[in-house]
Amino acid sequence: MDMHRHGPRNLHREKVQLNNWQQTVTRVWHYLATRKWQLVIVFLLTIVTTAVTIIGNRINGIVIDQYISKHRLQALLIVCAAMIGMYLIASVFTYFQNSIIIKVAQDTSARIRHDVFANLQRLPMTYFDTHDNGDVMSRLTNDVDNINTALMQTFVQLFTGVISVLGMGLAMIILSPLLTGIALLSTLATYLFSKAIAKLTQKAFMTQQAALGSLNTQIEESVSGKQLVQLFDHTTATMTMFNETNETYTKAAFRAQALSSIMGPFNNMTNNIAYLLITAAGAISILTGHGGITVGIIFTFLIYLRNFTGPINNVLNLINTLQLSLASAERVFELIDEAPEQDAPAAVAVKQTTGNVTFEQVSFAYDTRPILKDINLVAKQGEVVALVGPTGAGKTTIMNLLTNLYPLQHGRVLLDGRDVTTMRRQDLRRLVTVVQQESFLFTLTIRENIRLGRPDASDAEVELAAQRANADVFIKQLPAGYDTLLSENAHSLSQGQRQLLSIARAFITGAPVLVLDEATASIDSNTEADVQTAMTALMQDKTSFVIAHRLSTIQSADQILVINDGRVIERGTHQSLLAENGFYAELYNSQFDQA
Amino acid sequence: MFRIVMQHIHGKTRICFFLAPLIMLGEVFCDLQQPTLMSNIIDHGLAKGDMHFVIQEALWMLMFAVLGLIFGATCGTLGSYASLKMGEALRSHMLTVALVDRQPGGLEPATLITRITNDVTQMQNLVMMITRGMVRAPMLLLGGVVMSVIVCPDLAPILFVIMPILVIFMLWIVRRSIPLYTKMQQAVDTVNRVMRENLQGAKTIKAYVLEDHQLDQFNDENAQLRQTSQRAAMATVILSPVIQLLLNLGVVVALGYGGSLAISQTISDGQIIAFVNYMIQITSAMIQTVNIITAFSRAITSATRVQAVLDEESAEQLPVVTTVVPTGSDVEFDDVTFGYQQSQPILNHVSFKLPAGKWLGIIGPTGAGKSSLINLLTRSFDQYTGTIKIGGTDIQEMSLAAVHQKITVALQDSLLFSGTVRSNLTYGAKAATDVGLAAANQVAVADEFVDRLPANYDAPVEQAGKNFSGGQRQRLNISRAIVPKRDILVMDDATSAVDQTTNAEIKTRLEQTRSDQTTVIISQRVTNVMDCDQIIVLEDGQITAHGSHAELLKQSDFYRQLVQTQLGGGRHGHASTRTS
Repeated sequence: MDMHRHGPRNLHREKVQLNNWQQTVTRVWHYLATRKWQLVIVFLLTIVTTAVTIIGNRINGIVIDQYISKHRLQALLIVCAAMIGMYLIASVFTYFQNSIIIKVAQDTSARIRHDVFANLQRLPMTYFDTHDNGDVMSRLTNDVDNINTALMQTFVQLFTGVISVLGMGLAMIILSPLLTGIALLSTLATYLFSKAIAKLTQKAFMTQQAALGSLNTQIEESVSGKQLVQLFDHTTATMTMFNETNETYTKAAFRAQALSSIMGPFNNMTNNIAYLLITAAGAISILTGHGGITVGIIFTFLIYLRNFTGPINNVLNLINTLQLSLASAERVFELIDEAPEQDAPAAVAVKQTTGNVTFEQVSFAYDTRPILKDINLVAKQGEVVALVGPTGAGKTTIMNLLTNLYPLQHGRVLLDGRDVTTMRRQDLRRLVTVVQQESFLFTLTIRENIRLGRPDASDAEVELAAQRANADVFIKQLPAGYDTLLSENAHSLSQGQRQLLSIARAFITGAPVLVLDEATASIDSNTEADVQTAMTALMQDKTSFVIAHRLSTIQSADQILVINDGRVIERGTHQSLLAENGFYAELYNSQFDQA
Repeated sequence: MFRIVMQHIHGKTRICFFLAPLIMLGEVFCDLQQPTLMSNIIDHGLAKGDMHFVIQEALWMLMFAVLGLIFGATCGTLGSYASLKMGEALRSHMLTVALVDRQPGGLEPATLITRITNDVTQMQNLVMMITRGMVRAPMLLLGGVVMSVIVCPDLAPILFVIMPILVIFMLWIVRRSIPLYTKMQQAVDTVNRVMRENLQGAKTIKAYVLEDHQLDQFNDENAQLRQTSQRAAMATVILSPVIQLLLNLGVVVALGYGGSLAISQTISDGQIIAFVNYMIQITSAMIQTVNIITAFSRAITSATRVQAVLDEESAEQLPVVTTVVPTGSDVEFDDVTFGYQQSQPILNHVSFKLPAGKWLGIIGPTGAGKSSLINLLTRSFDQYTGTIKIGGTDIQEMSLAAVHQKITVALQDSLLFSGTVRSNLTYGAKAATDVGLAAANQVAVADEFVDRLPANYDAPVEQAGKNFSGGQRQRLNISRAIVPKRDILVMDDATSAVDQTTNAEIKTRLEQTRSDQTTVIISQRVTNVMDCDQIIVLEDGQITAHGSHAELLKQSDFYRQLVQTQLGGGRHGHASTRTS
């Protein structure tokens, strides 16, 4: 099943950079240590099965020399019966050895996956902002897979390989140093040749990879931009360019693959030559009466040879695979070691709040880039505070500080007079419900997605929340209603419907403080009205912060803060700000008075 | 599958494709000579003490080894050439099909991309395999059997017992394990999905304190994955000990039974040795064959997926049409109906006339058919009933190029290509000068950030325009549509990601530069369409209202409601009229 592993890639050994392999090995061992007795058993079974192979082959030779040549029929049959027994036991052993390894490897990789995921859940938001999802995913999937493969195959193969090579090498030397020398020479020739070919092909492989990269980019771009290609009559130009890259790729790939396709036949030839040398050398020394070689020994050697060159080449490849796996393990452990978000040492549990929020001289910088400067704000219980301003002014950041999503550098954010950084994060976040511009919907049913707001909510509560969020109507129109399974961030729903669901989710939390980040992108017009009434209903009796784009929200707000460039530049009510005729008035009017 | 391969290899490539397996036969033949020659050395050379014969046979063996290398290397080279050339032709063919395809409702881009990249690579590997392994493994198998029967007919029954058992056993295991591996793959997909969603939804998870809830879910899926993987692996774990056992049993029987025959002088030692060697060769050839069958079945899946893309190639030739570009730039839809399925029309009896130089606004909910209307006008699809005319000429009588000489669209999806700002802006007009680009950028309000880029027009654009913000991409997208200076410009919700101030600015500048040129604005924002000469309200594929802003306020409930929610009460009276 593992055809791919023998592809030309094996030739092109990647250079692996390991920072601290001893430590990584130790940590992998910690995972395995709980299964150490099973591993010891595997170790013993491997020694037995390998020994059976070596001894069995030797007996083959002895049978020819001692029994067949000397016409001892009865003894021959007894030995054969014994061999059958021996092989049966070896096969049973191999079966157990492989079964145990599979269990250990799968359990271990499941545990590693769990540990990575568990830590990932507790990482601070800054981690997700600064790390590419693709990279994290690749650690969670490919790298854990690599560890799994290493445990399941590489490790055992390497171990078996080393034992076979050592055991057989020893047996061969004892039998005939001359024939051993010939076998070693052929192995050496194969190794040197593959090294030389690898060197020759490396450059070709690199060109091939580079060409493949730009080939794939062009395919991706032109297919996703198909409509543009057609609209601007670019088909011919695109294809001309593509065909050029396509040809470059083929040329580079041909150079690389043609060279490396010689590998197989070459190995085959060296094996055949070793084969003939052993036969010929053996025959000559029998004829000249030197070296104590018998027909049986030649026979044993021929079979050893098949089992010798293979493992040695294999061992070299496996060491490289093992290095790659260690590098993977290192990347995985890096993720496990990432410092999680931690509450302050004396963080207190807070179960309720009246909803008075104060920002005192809050400043915040991302890396060294200042985002917020000296923000002051007092929101009393039940008030609606609107934040307006251009994109990138820092409105969302202000609200992220309220839920302690990022560490602030200066000033304090208070909830009921208590610094939010002294509260347990989980408590704080249960008291402040955030409706993001685009809340994420998971691959769960609609019911489960709404319930995420408060996992112990009953079905009736979920449906009530949906009704209050104006989502009930469209949900009931879906074929499976509340049990409709959403997939891949709910692409089957319109953006407006997705918003209604996230509002329903916010309804169900019942938290006294609300942050609403209105979507900037326009949504379909008939849902827009639903979204607005739902948002208004949601804000009832709550201290609400609205990052506002809609005029109705702004007009009815108790306070409006105009944010620009990380500062509050104006504040007041809709009327007072219009009268001021400043930035707000300009922003407001720009939407209507166009000439 | 074979058809796909044959369609994409021609001339030299085709010769290589057929020559390679023939040459492989040579390599197999050489390989098969070795055990027989060796047996000769032992039986004839040793038994008769004939040193000369030993050396002669050894030289034969050497010659066959070297010949084997020559055959093998030649076959490999020819095979690589054939497979790569086939891949090249196939990729190019598939991309062309994908790009010229004008059927509505085709494959998703992501799927298409995978098919043109991964699946073609699979096909390429398959051809490589056909030229080498497909011949080598079965031929070694067959040849091994024939040779061992020739060398030692008395022992042949051993093969005839062991081989069928081995084959049946392997096929049984493979068949049994396939559904288990499918299950495992599903579990892998689920775990990956949970992980991916946790990364994408990290903020939502934190906001709703769902960390533990998610971890519980993950633990369930992770346990499921562990279980299914173990099951799948356990199903195949029996394979290698059994193969090993059967082979060993074969060897023992050959020795025991062969030995007793040798003792009674029926066969020789050399024959036994040769037979055992053939048996080892046969077994490894058999394992290879099974591997190839597995790989082959995987390639069939790829081939089916590739064929589905090729099937989209329409045999229909576009009728011979005039390439004359009409002078007028009025647009007319006359009773146009369009739908992917007959029962569910996307556009339903749509008729309107837009005089040259006038502005048309189209507003309506998502999925009402606004973009489809534009797709028909630009001839992205032709499967509609009714007539569409530009400048009085039916667009079906115009060549595609002629239609595109007349009209450009700023699409909703502001995809940029990797290259430079210039290469993107001149996408529709290779010959555009910097002055032309500057003018277009000014209208699209793209000048302010493009002028600030260190390399200006030569600033690099990464794949999908990742190094620009959503708003900047949309502005470049608009500019790209303006650069070719076509008579008719369509803005298909092209400002959805720019902030409202910039949106207003773009609108103002468009009005200034195109006041007497035909322009179609599709939008969800009332402010974007309210000043157009005509506005169409499109709901569920039908025009439910058609008129000026003032008329629609009276006629259309939908429109009135939209104005209220978007503009608040009372301000719509301020709508300015565009001076034309």
